[in-house]
Amino acid sequence: MAGRQIYNPNGFHNMEKDGTIIGYEFQFKAQYYRGITLSIVRDIQIEVDGEAAAREDIRVTVNGEAFTLEEMRTVIDPEYRWEFGDYATVSVKKEGGLSKGSHHIKALQIIAPSYMPFQVEAVCETDFVME
Amino acid sequence: MSYDIKRSVSLYSYQDEYYDGRLDLEGCLKETAKTGATGVELLAEQMIRRFPLPIETQEFRDQWFGWLKEYGLEPSCYDAFLENRIYDNRTLTLKEQVNMMKRDIRLAALLGFHNLRTLVSTPMDVIEGSLEYAAEQDVKIGLEVHAPFSLNSGWADGYMEMILRTGTKHFGFIPDMGIFCKNIPSVLRDKARNMGAKEECIKIVDDAYAKRLEKGFVKIKYDLDLGKANMEYRMANGMKEMMEAVEQAGGGPADMMYAGSSFTYSWSEPQDIIDNIDYIFHTHAKFYHVGEDYAETAVAIPEVVEAFKKAGYQGYLSSEYEGGEHLRGYMQVDSVEQVRRHQEAMRRAIEGA
Repeated sequence: MAGRQIYNPNGFHNMEKDGTIIGYEFQFKAQYYRGITLSIVRDIQIEVDGEAAAREDIRVTVNGEAFTLEEMRTVIDPEYRWEFGDYATVSVKKEGGLSKGSHHIKALQIIAPSYMPFQVEAVCETDFVME
Repeated sequence: MSYDIKRSVSLYSYQDEYYDGRLDLEGCLKETAKTGATGVELLAEQMIRRFPLPIETQEFRDQWFGWLKEYGLEPSCYDAFLENRIYDNRTLTLKEQVNMMKRDIRLAALLGFHNLRTLVSTPMDVIEGSLEYAAEQDVKIGLEVHAPFSLNSGWADGYMEMILRTGTKHFGFIPDMGIFCKNIPSVLRDKARNMGAKEECIKIVDDAYAKRLEKGFVKIKYDLDLGKANMEYRMANGMKEMMEAVEQAGGGPADMMYAGSSFTYSWSEPQDIIDNIDYIFHTHAKFYHVGEDYAETAVAIPEVVEAFKKAGYQGYLSSEYEGGEHLRGYMQVDSVEQVRRHQEAMRRAIEGA
């Protein structure tokens, strides 16, 4: 039997703007047990098929608002908590996006609950197909 | 001494069902009631969306108290998280932290809780600075005593000194029954085997645990640097020697995971409950796996409940299921069934049936 689902299997898409594909996006859940302010998400690192995304190309969207990782450092409003069990949408700028067919994603969530002497580092991996 | 031991469920227990969307907050309350528990413990940040905004509204509170009435539950404990490193470039000042603690005390009171759990990382000054407000709000602050910490230790003495010095009736301890592990939980061993651990290495780790139990665990010291305190504690309890033995036996990542994780469990004498009963008003009944025979594989439920009886405990034992974290990587977790079994195991121990 399979373990818990981290990624939304229907959440992998290329992003289009004015007829050009400018990147890709996916959705995943925080690997922690309560809702958190985005300020304690200390990093998100992404590799697709072994290719690492640049930090500045990453945006995280919760409750309809997109933030860069740099901006997330100060986001503490209740409206933008990453709720427990909710998907956040992550977008990555990449000219041409991802090709049609099978891919492998490996993302690292680094979350720092204040009471822990260490950070929660969750490696999130899955295979997916880009339609 | 006469005792009044009641059963509660911490909704932390149902986190896997909640994560999957199989249970929402009301669903968790419904499941809690089905187990026969009469108390409910809440992590507001886990199951109240847009925390803390809804708690400020009459509409949400009416719904909350409506549910409690419908399912016959009493609020037992509010679990607070003092996010004192909410920003990555500094720790909140003492005044900011006290204000955050007061906010949580107020939210707890709004939802009908008279006990609030605070975590081991809470600075003493923050607790002391919140005591007057806690008294005003009729909320007791309980410091969680979670492995590797223990009662009757240098760590606990610091807090005891504060209780005696201030004479407060609004601060005490919330023991987590994970401090009463006779064995390493079976689910951790299952996970290690699933990852490919060697039986020889598992035996080295299990034997080392049994030896620590026999000799008595060396207790952890008080230090705000929890990482440092924890590492000293591990070394004092023979971690280095054990890791070397596992390595010599050809241990790989699965074996090292099992060996390292074994230090997150500990054993205290149940007598510690009796010695500290004047300062215990709520308890986390941590558990990892209860079999079909209603036996917990690690926590010594009957012995600990016996100590609570002897001590004349008046309060809740609140089921806190934590076995799921070892299973969810490779199978679906059934917290609902685990909590049901655990409540029955506690009922038998309390009622002596």
